[in-house]
Amino acid sequence: MEEQIESQKKNWHDKNYKILLVIPAILIVFSLIYMGIFYQNNEDIFYKDISLTGGTTLTIQDKLDANKLLEDLSDKLEDLNTREIYDLITGEQKAVVLETKANSTQTKEILENYLEYELTDENSSIEFTSSIFSENFYKQLLIAILIAFVFMAIVVFIIFRTLVPSAAVIISAFADILMTLVLADILGLKMSLGGIIAFLMLIGYSVDTDIMLTTRILKRSEGSVNERIFGAFKTGITMTLTSLLAFAVALIIVSSFSKILSQIFTILVIGLGFDILNTWITNVSIIKWYVNKKRK
Amino acid sequence: MKLKLGFKIWLVIIIVLLSLISIFITPNFLKKGVVIESVEANSTAFEQGLRQGQVITAIDGETIENLEDFTNALQGKYSSNTSVKTIFTTLDSEIILYTNEVPEITVSEISKTNIKLGLDLAGGARALVKAEDRKLSSEEVSDLVDITRNRLNEFGLTDLSVRPVSDLEGNHFMLIEIAGATPSDLEEMISQQGKFEAKILNDTVFIGGERDIASVCRNDATCALIEGCQQSQEGGYYCNFRFSVYLSEAAAERHAEITKDLEVNSTSQGNYLSEKLDLYVDDNLIDSLLIGESLKGRVTTQISISGSSSGETQDAAYDEAQKEMHKLQTILITGSLPYKLEITKLDTISPDLGEDFVKFIIFAGIAALLVASLVVFVRYKKFKPSLMVILFSFSEVVIILGIASLIQWNLDLASIAGILATIGTGFDDQIVILDEAKQKTILSLKQRLKRAFAIIMGAYFTAVVSLIPLLWAGAGLFKGFAITTIIGISVGVFITRPAFSQIIRRIEK
Repeated sequence: MEEQIESQKKNWHDKNYKILLVIPAILIVFSLIYMGIFYQNNEDIFYKDISLTGGTTLTIQDKLDANKLLEDLSDKLEDLNTREIYDLITGEQKAVVLETKANSTQTKEILENYLEYELTDENSSIEFTSSIFSENFYKQLLIAILIAFVFMAIVVFIIFRTLVPSAAVIISAFADILMTLVLADILGLKMSLGGIIAFLMLIGYSVDTDIMLTTRILKRSEGSVNERIFGAFKTGITMTLTSLLAFAVALIIVSSFSKILSQIFTILVIGLGFDILNTWITNVSIIKWYVNKKRK
Repeated sequence: MKLKLGFKIWLVIIIVLLSLISIFITPNFLKKGVVIESVEANSTAFEQGLRQGQVITAIDGETIENLEDFTNALQGKYSSNTSVKTIFTTLDSEIILYTNEVPEITVSEISKTNIKLGLDLAGGARALVKAEDRKLSSEEVSDLVDITRNRLNEFGLTDLSVRPVSDLEGNHFMLIEIAGATPSDLEEMISQQGKFEAKILNDTVFIGGERDIASVCRNDATCALIEGCQQSQEGGYYCNFRFSVYLSEAAAERHAEITKDLEVNSTSQGNYLSEKLDLYVDDNLIDSLLIGESLKGRVTTQISISGSSSGETQDAAYDEAQKEMHKLQTILITGSLPYKLEITKLDTISPDLGEDFVKFIIFAGIAALLVASLVVFVRYKKFKPSLMVILFSFSEVVIILGIASLIQWNLDLASIAGILATIGTGFDDQIVILDEAKQKTILSLKQRLKRAFAIIMGAYFTAVVSLIPLLWAGAGLFKGFAITTIIGISVGVFITRPAFSQIIRRIEK
């Protein structure tokens, strides 16, 4: 049964693998255009939350209505955002989180006047980042991602020592990141520090399967190319699915509680989703093309 | 060959056991009581010998097992104005206090592990400080760090870390981290300039700042040196140090005016004036220095400050003298910072929320591990290899935590993300191993596993190099993530994965 499906798939794939490349190509072109327009409108590659623009996050351990706070205070605190935190098991409200561009002293003062009690380190947490520092910080993290990507590319070249297969791995990783970025922008996700970490993690995860695929195809001699691709596919899809599902479950659990972790998981889930596409269409097609051409 | 197989697996077992020891065998293992977190300097409690780190096991004979017992034991005891007697039994001593105030100590329950949680999980404060409108050099930051550490210590903050950090662009910052409860006026304490005064009796001779102190000789052996070490009569050693301070004209005249009427006392170590030069930082007396006879009534812009420190060996005494000299030099330049400070980042995290947080993370981690294991089980439909995958992933987490406890690494949220990244790659690699082992080829199992490692090493190196920039980017705030991940995946690739492949060899055979 399995053999039959495999051979059918083979024939179909042999005929169409080059055409399949159109899908990622369209997506990449669309993404690049989208990013271009987005950059023109926002002067940045994504929306940033206050951990990257500078401002204050205030968490108050009290059962306060987030919507009411937003209504009452939005004219006093610049760019105010509020949300509530619940206990996962009891469903009881644990705290309320406020985010604003105002500085910490100002935020604390306004809230203390509003609540009519003092905010101490026992009933609240404050995180403040100055806007100059944030800008700098953000710039450097982008540079870090860029350097990380370049380093990754160099290592990939060292491993395979051939242009096309190495480029295929790098293009797939690049496409993963680009598409994830675009989807995050379309969803209106406001990127935090955690989100940027997630992009770094994504570099690592997306090349894993590509390296496995390329090694199996280039450095093995047994079986046909298609058999090797299918073998690699079985391994790779298990790898990606385990991570994808594990992160999805973790995302559900931490979603109300930690903004940083939930953003990391959201981006990884999106990124791994695109990785399936980019490894098994983009990378597979390029490398199959390369191997077939070399054989002729 | 058989022996070698055993070795790799045994190695993992031994390392896991060592990690468990590193995590759970705390200095107060299996002991009951509360630990003293801090003792206010110069308080009765401090004078009587209560110190940070001691474990209180009983108060007035009542056993203390937790914070509640501690609070109950002291509650209502000091309501009257008369001094009452309190007996603190610690692990190795008994300390008696007579006081009418609640002892100035803070305590916490004995921690059951050696794992140190970062500020964002355990609560505390973190401030990242730079100079306003100016780039600091690394020397300036290191001075600033010394000065700030001295000052914060004077405020009685003990569980704190002040250190210089820099970022990719070469900006230097001072990073201050305070664990646990945070003083409410932390912001002022940091950004305020320290006030330094040198007084004789109650007259101010000079104050910190460029107006009075032109410069302090440091790191220059011609005017700041350790003059020689000698054996003292009691058996130990002592070393003398001396360094020059250059005063402004005005300060020199004030010095002459104040000292001209003082008497000269003769001692065995030389002739000194009858009053000492008292050094104050933020109105706290830090040190008192003897003034040499020759300085009496003289207008001199160069004064020499000397002292001595003792130690059990000559080296120890030398180190002490160096430290003492450094401390004094730092005090003298305190308040003479030619720039204003700006807090660029200030986080204060409540300890309560952190506790819930840890619960959530553990819960999320277990759930993620179970789901991933389920996928593995569905794919391979074999119980043994699937169980091994879980077991090995779990052992990697234990080893990372063990190493973190050993090197006293503070686990923050970023580190947790790093552990997650490790588990993720661990699963991926193990799937590669399982699949390579299953491949139908003429190659031996050993050769097939070797090929799995070629893939794993490739993935490993790409991951490591992509983490390297994070060690510096953004003033190293994400170092935790980078280091935890690097430790984790290295442990995986070099320790657990080889053992895993050995086990798979045995199962597959």
